[in-house]
Amino acid sequence: MNDSKTVLVVDDSRVSRMMARQFILARQPGWLVEEAATGEQALEMAQAMSPVLILVDVNMPGMGGLAAAGHLRVMCPHAHISLVTANVQNTTRNRASQMGIGFMEKPITEERIHALLGALE
Amino acid sequence: MLELSELQHDALVEIFNIGVGQAARAMSEIVSEEVTMSVPSIRFLNRADAAAMLGHTDGQRVCGVSQHYEGAFTTEAILMFPEDKSLDIVRLMVGEAVPFTELSEMEQEAMSEIGNIILNSCVGTLANLFEHELRGSLPLYHLGSSEDILSATGGQADTVVLMLHIDFILETHQIHGYVAFILDLSALDDLQAQVDRFLAKIEGRG
Amino acid sequence: MDAVATIHPGMLDSVFGVIDLGAVVLDHQRRVVLWNHWMSRHSGHEAGMVVGRDFFAVFPELRGKRLDNAVLQALRDNFPAVLSQTLHKAPIPLFANHAARTSGVRIQQAVAVTPLAVTGAARHCLIQVSDVSAAVHRERLLRDQALELRSQTFSDGLTGIANRRHFDLAMEKEQRRAKRSAIALTMLMIDIDFFKAYNDHYGHQQGDDTLIRVAGALAAMLQRPQDLIARYGGEEFVVILPDMDSASGARVAESLRQRIAQLAIPHAGAPGGHGSQRITVSIGVATQAPHQPVEVAALIGAADRALYTAKRHGRNQVVIENP
Repeated sequence: MNDSKTVLVVDDSRVSRMMARQFILARQPGWLVEEAATGEQALEMAQAMSPVLILVDVNMPGMGGLAAAGHLRVMCPHAHISLVTANVQNTTRNRASQMGIGFMEKPITEERIHALLGALE
Repeated sequence: MLELSELQHDALVEIFNIGVGQAARAMSEIVSEEVTMSVPSIRFLNRADAAAMLGHTDGQRVCGVSQHYEGAFTTEAILMFPEDKSLDIVRLMVGEAVPFTELSEMEQEAMSEIGNIILNSCVGTLANLFEHELRGSLPLYHLGSSEDILSATGGQADTVVLMLHIDFILETHQIHGYVAFILDLSALDDLQAQVDRFLAKIEGRG
Repeated sequence: MDAVATIHPGMLDSVFGVIDLGAVVLDHQRRVVLWNHWMSRHSGHEAGMVVGRDFFAVFPELRGKRLDNAVLQALRDNFPAVLSQTLHKAPIPLFANHAARTSGVRIQQAVAVTPLAVTGAARHCLIQVSDVSAAVHRERLLRDQALELRSQTFSDGLTGIANRRHFDLAMEKEQRRAKRSAIALTMLMIDIDFFKAYNDHYGHQQGDDTLIRVAGALAAMLQRPQDLIARYGGEEFVVILPDMDSASGARVAESLRQRIAQLAIPHAGAPGGHGSQRITVSIGVATQAPHQPVEVAALIGAADRALYTAKRHGRNQVVIENP
């Protein structure tokens, strides 16, 4: 049940990463939460890990969330990947589902994280 | 002047980005086009500096939509764009190609709704994440110099302006504007205390 | 005697019933609590049929849209919201009358949503709907009129002198007057030499500036009130000289030609040796004789041919040709 799994949180906002970390660990205290501040950093880190879940902020400088998520989809075929954004546009939603990527609305709340983790089990 | 720690600054930028992101979604639904908004940076300024910064529009008038909020903290929030830019936004949202040199009354009230959406979204996100209750007012439209708008919307000498840079993107048009929150010293203290409380909570300390 | 005005029982209900705008109150679960007479009349839903129901079940097309969001902001965040008539023509299906309902023409609406504190219950909200169809119609009329007016202006935007439209009207008027009064009518067709090369060499901004200078210089030379100079085309000007014979017209043309040359506006882009590398004009002169009226087109045609001849013969000169 609670063997240590890894979650990768990708967001340029440190506060946002903290929020995700807090809610994930509240539900799964044994898990490992890794953080990346950019898409590029996420790709580097993902090579060395097998995350069960990756959260990717859409609104990031440099390689944006959508592009990063696309690469991560290829690199980590077994991970559940969710784009995270306050601005859920139909165009992005369609592109995401085409890539086999999910969606989570911001603000990241306890309910939303728990719903997502529940769906993974 | 208020000195924020990097984390406090990050918290406010993130909160406002969530706010304008939700506003962009609402506006996108209205025009059935992709709309994106972000807050690339925020600053605390005194009124004179704020007016000067906004005044870099070469004497052009500024269009402002203001709303008053009170409760857990009190502030006057103002969305501002240079006059021609605000006209562009309204036309992009309405989809009209009629060339007008002045904002007509209809376009004023369209801008009032846009201000209402953006400001309510920003302040609403703040209020929700801080778990505090506020009351808001209906939008008021202003057209004038940046000094006029900042002083008309209240603020005695001891006020600070929390200035947000806003990027508004619709189709290929990128428009830069501002959201200003006018805060007196006690509101500033309230804000800082709320941010700290919020950070304590998400760090697992509160 | 009563010093205090009395609010009689039922008065507030009456007011709510007769006010000329739609008023709906929703509870915290978005169920309809109050639905006034205006709403019944224009929505086609009687109060009895909607009270207690989810507002967005009564109007499912509004789910997830701006009004839905506005209600959420009022109930959850305690903020009022507005829906402008410019951004949302007619969000709620409301109709002025039966005929409008059948043809599907909705009332144009301005909507405001306001939070309502209620003792002993969670927050409610009030939705107000105003009929702004008349205002929208007026605005549209004003807009159309302004557009119409703009297309009727008579000055050229760049130089400030008369535009082509003004010239067309004035020319017709003068031609009729000349015919009636049996007087001569002369027109000059003026074209800036090698102007395309000027634009290519100095850029269009400077090209515009030069056009303005030339137009100004030409206009300043015309002495009589009945004389008119207009911008005919990109770098072409036309002058109407009523009651002036051919010889006098040619003299006026020559003085205009000299004036422009004297401006000494450098034109390094002109072909080598032309006009000492400065801006010059070629002018065609055509005159309608007092008792020999012609069609306006014929007079213009003659001036045009004269201008063409001036160009062919080296430019910076005046040529006469009569219809």
